[in-house]
Amino acid sequence: MTPGLLLLLAALSLASGIVTGPRLARTWLALVLAGAAGALISAWAVLESGAPWEWRSGFHLGGEPLHLRLDGLSALFLVLLSVIGGVSAVYARQYWSDERYPDSAPAGRAWWCGLMLSMGGVVLCSNGLHFLIAWELFTLCAFFLITLDRRRREVRAAGWLYLAASHAGTICLFAFFGMLAARTGGWDLGPMRDRAELQPLCWLMLTGFGVKAGMFPLHIWLPSAHANAPSHVSTIMSGVAIKMGIYGLVRFSGWLPMPETAGWVILVLGAIGALFGIAFALAQSDLKRLLAYCSVENIGIILIGLGTALLGTARDHAPWGRLALAGALLHVWNHGAFKSLLFLGAGSVLHATGTREMSRLGGLWRAMPWTASLFGLGAVAVSGLPPLNGFVSEWLVYLGLFDAASSRAASVGAVMPAIVMLAMTGALALACFAKASTIVFLGACRTQAAAQAHECGTLMRGSMLALAGACLVIGLGPVLFWPPISRAVEAWSPAWASTVPPVPLAKLGLVQVTVALAACAVASWLWRKSRANGLRRGLTWDCGYAGPTVRMQYTGGSFASIAAGWFAWLLQPQRVLRRPRGLLPTDATCIERVPETILERVLTPLSQIVMRASAATRRLQHGRLSAYILYVLAGLIAMSLCVVLRP
Amino acid sequence: MMTILQIIARLALWLLVAPLLPGIINKVKAWVAGRRGPPVLQLYYDLARLWRKGVVLSTLASPGFVIGPAVAWVAVASAGLLLPLGPAGGLFGFRGDALILIYLLALARFCTSWAAMETGSAFEGMGAAREVSYAVLAEAALIAAVLSLCIQTGSTSLVTMLSPSASAGAVLLAAGLFTVLLAENCRVPFDDPNTHLELTMIHEVMVLDHSGPPLAVILHGAAMKLMLFALLLVEAVLPLGKLTWPTAAGALVGGVLASTVGIGLVESLLARLAFRRVPLLLTTAFLLCLFALLIAWKGGGGA
Repeated sequence: MTPGLLLLLAALSLASGIVTGPRLARTWLALVLAGAAGALISAWAVLESGAPWEWRSGFHLGGEPLHLRLDGLSALFLVLLSVIGGVSAVYARQYWSDERYPDSAPAGRAWWCGLMLSMGGVVLCSNGLHFLIAWELFTLCAFFLITLDRRRREVRAAGWLYLAASHAGTICLFAFFGMLAARTGGWDLGPMRDRAELQPLCWLMLTGFGVKAGMFPLHIWLPSAHANAPSHVSTIMSGVAIKMGIYGLVRFSGWLPMPETAGWVILVLGAIGALFGIAFALAQSDLKRLLAYCSVENIGIILIGLGTALLGTARDHAPWGRLALAGALLHVWNHGAFKSLLFLGAGSVLHATGTREMSRLGGLWRAMPWTASLFGLGAVAVSGLPPLNGFVSEWLVYLGLFDAASSRAASVGAVMPAIVMLAMTGALALACFAKASTIVFLGACRTQAAAQAHECGTLMRGSMLALAGACLVIGLGPVLFWPPISRAVEAWSPAWASTVPPVPLAKLGLVQVTVALAACAVASWLWRKSRANGLRRGLTWDCGYAGPTVRMQYTGGSFASIAAGWFAWLLQPQRVLRRPRGLLPTDATCIERVPETILERVLTPLSQIVMRASAATRRLQHGRLSAYILYVLAGLIAMSLCVVLRP
Repeated sequence: MMTILQIIARLALWLLVAPLLPGIINKVKAWVAGRRGPPVLQLYYDLARLWRKGVVLSTLASPGFVIGPAVAWVAVASAGLLLPLGPAGGLFGFRGDALILIYLLALARFCTSWAAMETGSAFEGMGAAREVSYAVLAEAALIAAVLSLCIQTGSTSLVTMLSPSASAGAVLLAAGLFTVLLAENCRVPFDDPNTHLELTMIHEVMVLDHSGPPLAVILHGAAMKLMLFALLLVEAVLPLGKLTWPTAAGALVGGVLASTVGIGLVESLLARLAFRRVPLLLTTAFLLCLFALLIAWKGGGGA
């Protein structure tokens, strides 16, 4: 079957999912999976053969002929969409079931199909007008999914913030596509690198897609939306939806002529975003908010790769640019896999205990061994540690940066700070996920809710297992994934076409497999040796104190306090402290909250100024006719003065 | 076949020689203090004793309490196998293995912290928090050092990076890497390996609840990590690649011994730093490596 036919079938099954979804949950799941499978096969076929698929319709839609294009780059993102979309649909079937959420589950299924369909449209459309339509539909579907549980106030607030921020970005995109169409004389999109007059448009594009991608100072909507959405929606939002922003950035930075400054801007914003994003994540006490900020970090890593690639193209397509771009694109997949796994794990925790506050959890491994071990695996992957997939893509980005630095081209020396920041980001990510996974799953249960937790159902577990499998496979066999990644790189810049990996990915894979196997072997050996020597259970050593309570455990806040303290100037934590007073103090509290600094300290004051200015202007309109006549008179006099006094 | 023999030989070297270094350090400390001190082979006896002992597990601990130390040990051992041994060269050196080494050490850190948090004890939580936080600065220093070597040699493979003579920045690099060594191996002035159960410790406090074979694995892993950093320091600073085989081997062994004695002297002569000063010292280490990097950058073609 040709890719076109498969895509048509996928679109049809998703479209019928919109219709049947609200009533028939099982049919819906089958339709979504069929759609995902169709899209996956067609995208994989393109990545396999390297032959892009293109189709132009004979008819017009909105005055323009439909133009679909599936090349290496869009196929890469389509694979991500279909895998994450399919897997989290399976999860959603049990997580957001009709029994638990009779009001919102049916609508949620229809919006889900709509979201997948419109995101598919975004990666396929090669016509500016249709791209914008798909983009807007995607934004709206995501809004309705985020606000599925809209009886809660914070969910509505998060939804509105998302909608407002997205539309601020969309305005830039409207301007971008409009001006592009005006300058090229048509809505049709394609490579136009040789038209230098289009260069200034890249800033509009960068802002518009940057908002959606959660690029650092534009990420304001992301934490609250990802934290408050239902977990399967958080999964597709952070696994796929923010990647649509990355898709836009990669796609159009490949097609448009890009000034070198843009490469620098993307690199710097990426490096800063990675470091600050993980600093914010570290300070969070809400598990899903922590994961959301970590997405900002990973987007930063992807942008570091993209920025380096842009610098590489500006220097005669230096080979290090290709490495960095390949790393960034592989990180798109990797982040999709491990972050979705973590969000699904967080969803299972939320499902089992009803809270996302890490300080109320703890000791969940006993009740939820599957979730705990899979979340632990995801934590290793997201910290970029071998032998899992996160390390592979970070390694590629690192190698690109190292090669750029050692090429000794004077101006590229500035990538060195990015390398150091990337290293610090990695270490902070480790701290952050050591905190998240151990505070939630290890130790003693901090509350009754945590003590009464239960393991998640089979479908939820199965979808987490599938994603964990993806993390393992990419981690242990990175060389298998070079051909598809290189197709995408080739679609971005034909000068970098190569099917042989320029770096020893096979040897990396060998090391990873060896480490994994040796770890399993030594771990089981040590476990058996300990058993053979005699295992005894005893109380945790606490200096001989007789009455330990669960509240004496180390908390997430204290775990993060050292490193978060270094970033206090950025995080601006707000603390409400009631110290113990008197001889026999009864109660004392300490509540700490880390605000979204950019939003609350920069944007909110700015918007308040705008609101005040508007309120002041509104006083001019008060309904008194005599004053209005005065305005007209004053206006006329001013205009005639202009005419008279004109030289 | 040769490769397999080499792997076995190197693994045996790491397994057997590593526990010697803490013994030497203790001997030096005893000598400075005018005591006789424990025998140099004390750690071997300790390991043998612990290996035979039973295990007391915290009632809260999951199997991860035992798996963590095992994975950490594997990570450090693999990092050791990746490190070229002076004149003997690397086992399978390839582009980018320097980064794998750094991240394998990070994997070991993750697993140790995970195991520490298993018990739900505030002590161990404190230790784990310090370990992962200070590592942020240590890792920045380490990557700056690696980057300076990379710029100097134009390669990201450890074998090439470590063989030529270091540039004019060698002294800076040595000072920076030595500080990182002290921090990463939890020696004075960052940590005090002698104290047990104090609120002012990093590494020792993380292993409070470990016993028996898992503790043996942790102690052996720590010894290997110490040897790894000592080797890395010596190879990064001395021009081993330009010497003949016997001289280079002698220089390597001598260098490792010298840095071990250096650790012992530092530990005898310095007091542990106050905790709020630790980031300052680590930042200094980072700056030293950064200056070495700048010298490498400005220093022209390199080796």
